Amino acid sequence: MADNKTVIIKIKRQANPDSKAYWEEFELPQTPGRNVTSALMEIAVNPVTRDGKKTTPITYDANCLEEVCGSCAMLVNGKARMACSALLEKLDHPVKLEPFSKFPVVRDLAVDRSVLFEDLKRVKAWVPIDGTYDLGPGPRVTMQEQEVAYPLSRCISCCCCMEACPQFNESTDFVGAAAISQVRLFNTHPTGKALKRERLAALMGDGGIQECGYAQNCVEICPKDIPLTRSISEVGREVMKQAIGDLFRR
Amino acid sequence: MGSSAGSAAPAVVKPKIKQGVAPLRAGEGHSFLLRRLHSLTGIVPVGLFLIEHFISNAFAVNGPAAYTKQVEFLTSFPFVVALELFGIWLPILFHSLYGFYIWYRGDSNIGEYPWTGNWMYAAQRWTGAIAFFYMGWHTWHIRFTGVHILSHPASAFGKVQLEFQNTWVAMFYLVGIIAASWHFAYGLWLFAAKWGIVTGDRARRRFGYVCVIIAVVFIAVGMATMRSFFHWPLHPVNGGSS
Ligand code: HEM
Ligand code: SF4
Ligand code: SF4
Ligand code: FES
Repeated sequence: MADNKTVIIKIKRQANPDSKAYWEEFELPQTPGRNVTSALMEIAVNPVTRDGKKTTPITYDANCLEEVCGSCAMLVNGKARMACSALLEKLDHPVKLEPFSKFPVVRDLAVDRSVLFEDLKRVKAWVPIDGTYDLGPGPRVTMQEQEVAYPLSRCISCCCCMEACPQFNESTDFVGAAAISQVRLFNTHPTGKALKRERLAALMGDGGIQECGYAQNCVEICPKDIPLTRSISEVGREVMKQAIGDLFRR
Repeated sequence: MGSSAGSAAPAVVKPKIKQGVAPLRAGEGHSFLLRRLHSLTGIVPVGLFLIEHFISNAFAVNGPAAYTKQVEFLTSFPFVVALELFGIWLPILFHSLYGFYIWYRGDSNIGEYPWTGNWMYAAQRWTGAIAFFYMGWHTWHIRFTGVHILSHPASAFGKVQLEFQNTWVAMFYLVGIIAASWHFAYGLWLFAAKWGIVTGDRARRRFGYVCVIIAVVFIAVGMATMRSFFHWPLHPVNGGSS
């Protein structure tokens, strides 16, 4: 035990959705390569605060531990990011952990992000292939189409883009960048295209694409580097084409 | 479970559970129309008017005679008052009031996320507000108080010169010019990005530089115009107040 440096972690806790939040501080020995999620695991092994008080383990979401499942998003030092890829040694100390501020807290660091799932349903973010008979092989997707679609398909539904967006709040009830980007993904798909008109129409409803103020936080924060502002512009164009076209055609 | 009515235990008031942001209301409401109308009015007619206004005033560079001629030209339009009302005042009023409403509903977060685009988002709101108060004050002074310019175009040059005798007033003009120039130029960029006119990342960056140049040109023209009001000898204001 030559090196006994420690890290201090301040965690904003909340027992259940309708109780008051409070802070607790923990101190852990510094271990190279440790990330926020593994620090939370370590605390669970011995849930004692810095001043020696016995407490409950922290509740948090995590699954893949490699930034692909999207479950572990939280505010690390005030910024939205994935806990599993946040290395303690690369963070400012003491490390401050909070649940997302724009989603209902379930307990401690776990929040309810089902609004994105609901939004994805409302924009019909799927390829319609259900039927009673075999539809045969789908159309070919060209290399160029794949190059556009692949980055968009990497969305892990972490909701970082929504948490960081100044327009995403309970006053606008804005849908956020992730769902808009998924509209672009499914509208580029040769079979998914079938629902293009409905998707664009959905995005013109209250809380739709118009609420975007183009602050571009979404594209900066996205852990999967999805070209979100590009998607907003491309979908913005399709939406305007449909809206103006309908003025003359409908 | 029986009712606790009448028992001594105090009623437990639970804080309301935070509901969070509501899902998309597909197919509902008119916010799409209003937001896009706000966007559009920023360009047509308000942006066009701003361009016209900067060009017209730049005639001051050629002196009082040229300036008077331009004012006469503008006041000679048929239906001037209707043009002003429906082409300028009402669209500006809509864009401004709805702009404040948009501002009120957003939660600027440059503290947590101090990135360029986010700063510009905040700046678009502040420059809009500065332009709003500047325009209200400017219009009141030039158009609705003192010498009536519509009926005395020859007094316009001198009227502005008299305004500039007060350094604070001249400073406010400068601030107003910078705010309106930036708001309009970045507004062009926002418009192009939101309406999908410029979509690619590189194209958007390039158009960003173009918009910065547009802002600089506007500010330069505005400053050159201001300078000429100081440069030329005081021009008489006659016609009295009407
Ligand atoms: C000099 C007169 C003005 C001009 C030429 C002008 C022009 C524009 C333009 C072209 C846009 C871009 C459209 C868009 O982002 O959707 C814009 C946006 C905006 N304007 Fe103005 N504007 C003016 C005055 C004002 C005033 C007085 C306000 C009041 C606060 C205001 C508030 C806003 C806001 C909040 C936005 C951003 C909207 C968003 O982020 O979605 N503007 N303006
Ligand atoms: S560009 Fe800005 S306002 Fe639009 S979704 Fe992204 S963060 Fe939100
Ligand atoms: S777009 Fe990016 S930030 Fe938004 S939910 Fe998907 S992965 Fe997360
Ligand atoms: S645990 Fe899956 S993304 Fe972090």
